[in-house]
Amino acid sequence: MIKTTEEQISIPMVVNVPYEFAAGEYLTRGLSELRDNGKFYAVKCPKCQRVQLPPRIVCAVCHVKNDAWVELGQEGTLVGFTIMFIPMTDPTTGKPHEPPFAYGSVRLDGATSVLDHFLHVEPDMEKIWVGMRFKLVLRPKAERIGDLSDVMYFEPLPGQKRPGRTN
Amino acid sequence: MKRNVAIIGGGQTYHAARRHDVDQAEMVNEAVRRALDDAGLTIDEIDLVLLGNMEFFEGMHMTDCWLVHGTGAYGRPGLKITTGGTVGATIVCAGAHHVASGLFDRVLCIGFEKQEEGDTGAILSGVASPLWGRSMAGAAVGYFAMLATSYMAAWGAKEEHSAMVAVKARQNARKNKYAHLKIDLKMEDVMNSKMLAYPIKLHDMCPASNGACAVILADEKTAKKRCKKPVWIRAMDTAHNEQFELDWRDVKTKRPIFSKVSSSRIYKKLGVTKPSEYFDVFEVYEPATWSELLWYEDLGICGPGEGFKLIEKGMTNIDGPIPVNPSGGVLSTNCIGASAMLRVWEAALQIRGDAEEHQVPKDVRRALTTAYGGTNWTVITALSKSLDE
Repeated sequence: MIKTTEEQISIPMVVNVPYEFAAGEYLTRGLSELRDNGKFYAVKCPKCQRVQLPPRIVCAVCHVKNDAWVELGQEGTLVGFTIMFIPMTDPTTGKPHEPPFAYGSVRLDGATSVLDHFLHVEPDMEKIWVGMRFKLVLRPKAERIGDLSDVMYFEPLPGQKRPGRTN
Repeated sequence: MKRNVAIIGGGQTYHAARRHDVDQAEMVNEAVRRALDDAGLTIDEIDLVLLGNMEFFEGMHMTDCWLVHGTGAYGRPGLKITTGGTVGATIVCAGAHHVASGLFDRVLCIGFEKQEEGDTGAILSGVASPLWGRSMAGAAVGYFAMLATSYMAAWGAKEEHSAMVAVKARQNARKNKYAHLKIDLKMEDVMNSKMLAYPIKLHDMCPASNGACAVILADEKTAKKRCKKPVWIRAMDTAHNEQFELDWRDVKTKRPIFSKVSSSRIYKKLGVTKPSEYFDVFEVYEPATWSELLWYEDLGICGPGEGFKLIEKGMTNIDGPIPVNPSGGVLSTNCIGASAMLRVWEAALQIRGDAEEHQVPKDVRRALTTAYGGTNWTVITALSKSLDE
């Protein structure tokens, strides 16, 4: 079994490591459209026709170059969600997202891929359901930096009723 | 395979939330010594050492170099392998390839994790792409919660079904002397446990464990000469997912995702048509209760949307017709770098009849194990008692 000894020295340490990642050709184009024009662009595979987010140079399935750019709708459908009840550290800032909050995966109209973001709804499991319709809410143009944080959240379209089945 | 490969021995540590009594090398050495003793080999008889863990969980790169005294790799060929949650099974897979190739006869495979030494949540965020969505990628629990809401919406499963998986895991773990969480858990304990991320509650998730596992692989000649109860590796398969895509969170997906692709390929290699009848026991990689239900379906143990009915009927209990995770699984012990190897080793113990209190009460001749990693890929391993089956 595991020994328990009287003295166990352990040495604490904090390591801060700065990084700077190049977004590359495809994502730079997609993120500049978001920042400058408030539009979401995806790439379409010439072979399997999947409309992929984030924009990327090669279709993983077909291994051919993605060369068609497609503007996505600003609205989409929720395919999975959760309500977070524990403080979840935002790795990009080191600060926690304050619980409870809802976030989920939304498939923007015209996309094959989904986009994960906050859901601007009451964190109540009775008020969120798979299939619910949402629209993108972006930061004002002057505040956008060319990153997914340019999206503030998804907001539910008004007048929706929860369907008669459970989530 | 070019040459048959057998597991001729193995060992594991007692897994726990706190192991400040040992450093990494000392902890790894506990499993290595048990494996060598079990196989009846000395370290000089080992001709290749493969080591793996989750990259940077312990804040240290080059663990293969720093732990060389503990692993026994001094002066002999070796490799470090890091493939996320799958790593333990990847090491066995790579080891089996090395033996099957004919270049090595006795390979020591080691997986370990000492989670207490770092910040698992913080390091896991490095699994997410820094360019796309890392802000939302704080912990594994959110991912599994979305999988769960998708599953519930698609098939009508309830929170009680995942609680049944939690109860089964922890009750099985109580029979496994090496397991970390050995709680006398009841349904109401799970249902009343703290909500982490709806619908995932505290008892729906795996613990953060410290521990190591080691297994020794050998060619057929060595295995038959040196081992009374060799367990044969009959087939392996691995498949990657497309990382940016929805994968397990869209349970109705028609896309060929990792788990289905890999299991259908391994069944084809072995000629399996009814996996629930062909295999006597399963050890699957379930960091959350809901992922076990998905494994039932993706492995073809039942049809799509029927996983929750399987647990409801008790089919996968330790004494049920299709025992799954008699060891208590990842839900009871998750020393990540060792977890996927523990699936293989626990399945081998079942075939040997050496699982002691958590031995399933039937003749075990064939077993299937899975691995799962944050990059959404798997390594599936099929084991058997004899080369005739």
